[in-house]
Amino acid sequence: MRNRRPVDRVKFVTRKFLLAVLAAAVAFPLLYMLSSSLFSARDFNQIHILPETPVWANYIKALSHRHFLSYIVNSVGTALLASILRTAVIILAAFALTHLRFRGRNAVFAALVLTLFIPQEALLYQNYRTVASLGLLDTWAGIIATSLFSGAQMLLVMGSFMSLGHETYDAARIDGASDLMYIHSVLVPLSGPVVITVFIQTLITVFNSYLWPLLVTNRPGSRTIQVGITMLGFAESGETGAQMATITLISIPFLVILAIAKRKIQNALIRR
Amino acid sequence: MKKRNEPKAYLYLAPAILIAAVFWWFPAAKGLVESFLKVNQAGKVLGFAGFSNYMMLFRDKAFLNSLSVTLRFILLFVPVNTLITLLAASLTRRPSRFSSIPEYIFFSPVAISLSAYSLLMKEIFRGTASVANRLLGTGSGWITEPAGAMATLVILGVFLDFGLDYMILMCAFRSIDRNVIEAARMDGAGGWRLFFQIELPLIRETVSATVFLALKDAILISAPIMILTEGGPYRSTETLMFYYYIEAFKSGNRAVQNALSSLVLIVATVAMAVFGSLRRRAR
Repeated sequence: MRNRRPVDRVKFVTRKFLLAVLAAAVAFPLLYMLSSSLFSARDFNQIHILPETPVWANYIKALSHRHFLSYIVNSVGTALLASILRTAVIILAAFALTHLRFRGRNAVFAALVLTLFIPQEALLYQNYRTVASLGLLDTWAGIIATSLFSGAQMLLVMGSFMSLGHETYDAARIDGASDLMYIHSVLVPLSGPVVITVFIQTLITVFNSYLWPLLVTNRPGSRTIQVGITMLGFAESGETGAQMATITLISIPFLVILAIAKRKIQNALIRR
Repeated sequence: MKKRNEPKAYLYLAPAILIAAVFWWFPAAKGLVESFLKVNQAGKVLGFAGFSNYMMLFRDKAFLNSLSVTLRFILLFVPVNTLITLLAASLTRRPSRFSSIPEYIFFSPVAISLSAYSLLMKEIFRGTASVANRLLGTGSGWITEPAGAMATLVILGVFLDFGLDYMILMCAFRSIDRNVIEAARMDGAGGWRLFFQIELPLIRETVSATVFLALKDAILISAPIMILTEGGPYRSTETLMFYYYIEAFKSGNRAVQNALSSLVLIVATVAMAVFGSLRRRAR
């Protein structure tokens, strides 16, 4: 490597330079988030990059915001509940569509896949009316109502179930195992990675969703953190630092999870 | 004797069918039907309207503006997003001793939520006296002027999609059979030729999948705009879906709302179908 031709060395340096610039650009908002979470109002006004003197009180303000705890509880609660329910709904549907022969199978399958082509963003108002008329505004049920199914994830789970074959199912039936027992002790464990992927995907999607929870919640106590951080009132009262501290607090857990799970995700995505 | 499966199968499918019906099939069908009817503010049907709701929409200057804003956003965002994620993925496609550091940096945007990134960008690009101008040495007004606001929105869009697209593309590069690359190297292909004639064509399926996702996100973008610019300045970032949100929830205009939601459904479905068939043909 040391005795490269000069042309190669120029290429090598150019590549590393481009990489450094791009990495710096991608990392900048995150670094600015960390840095500005310690800013005073003066730091924001004078457009500093680093705080003059770190204002740790921003974190105290963030944590003692009177709705912070309920925002977090609502976000974690709805995300967990939605993930559990959606995964269950999808597993049951995928089982019926892959393991049972029945009249109308193809029609039901096609109709469920059709949801893939209907973006819910275009149905916001209609779905809002439905949830409102069911009396679910300001409830966890209202927040998760539109997140309990996904056509794409159903296809993913069906693919995994189909690859397992019917022999084990037939054998289990002869041994007198019920469908639910078979799903619970054979199908789901054998499709582990796919089921976990569906669960985590849903968890992150619901936890990070903004528009729908914004529409179906009015009381501050029923809002989720993603809606909440835009309504903390810190920025308006000249305490942008406390807002940045709140954003930092909710981002760090996911940055840590990502650092731990990075290799696993990569291994799942690289096919050799 | 064959046991009948129907009751059992439909019992398992019931939750999925119920949810799909209530939150997809029913609202889509209702919107489509009502877009051809006269409906008053309270939702009461007053009669047949033909295409008059749609005509009203196309005479509405704000709607036409939102169409052109969305089109401009698509034309800016999709290529920029594709090129930047592809550049990052190609620069890190060969694992090396320290490559996990840039990999983690490029993957990290996945951990930051839509509203968090929107608030961050709102602060970084807040106007003439902003961090962005200080670092870049520019004098742009960013979110306070039309062109700057669109640029900021494109940048925000790239950050929102970057992490996932990068991971998918980088892993696609690494999934290429090493023997293929070694054989090409033996034949004297290196650097640019190896990249453009061997590696890039081998992952074109994945690239087109990320383009497809970017296109879908661009057509449907609205939530980041609510936080970043609220459609302004002078409606310069008022996209189709943001306009829909305003009409449906702020003005309560049922006719426009139904026509618009049906139109977006049709446009999204057609765009996805056309893109899908183009991909199949390219295969």
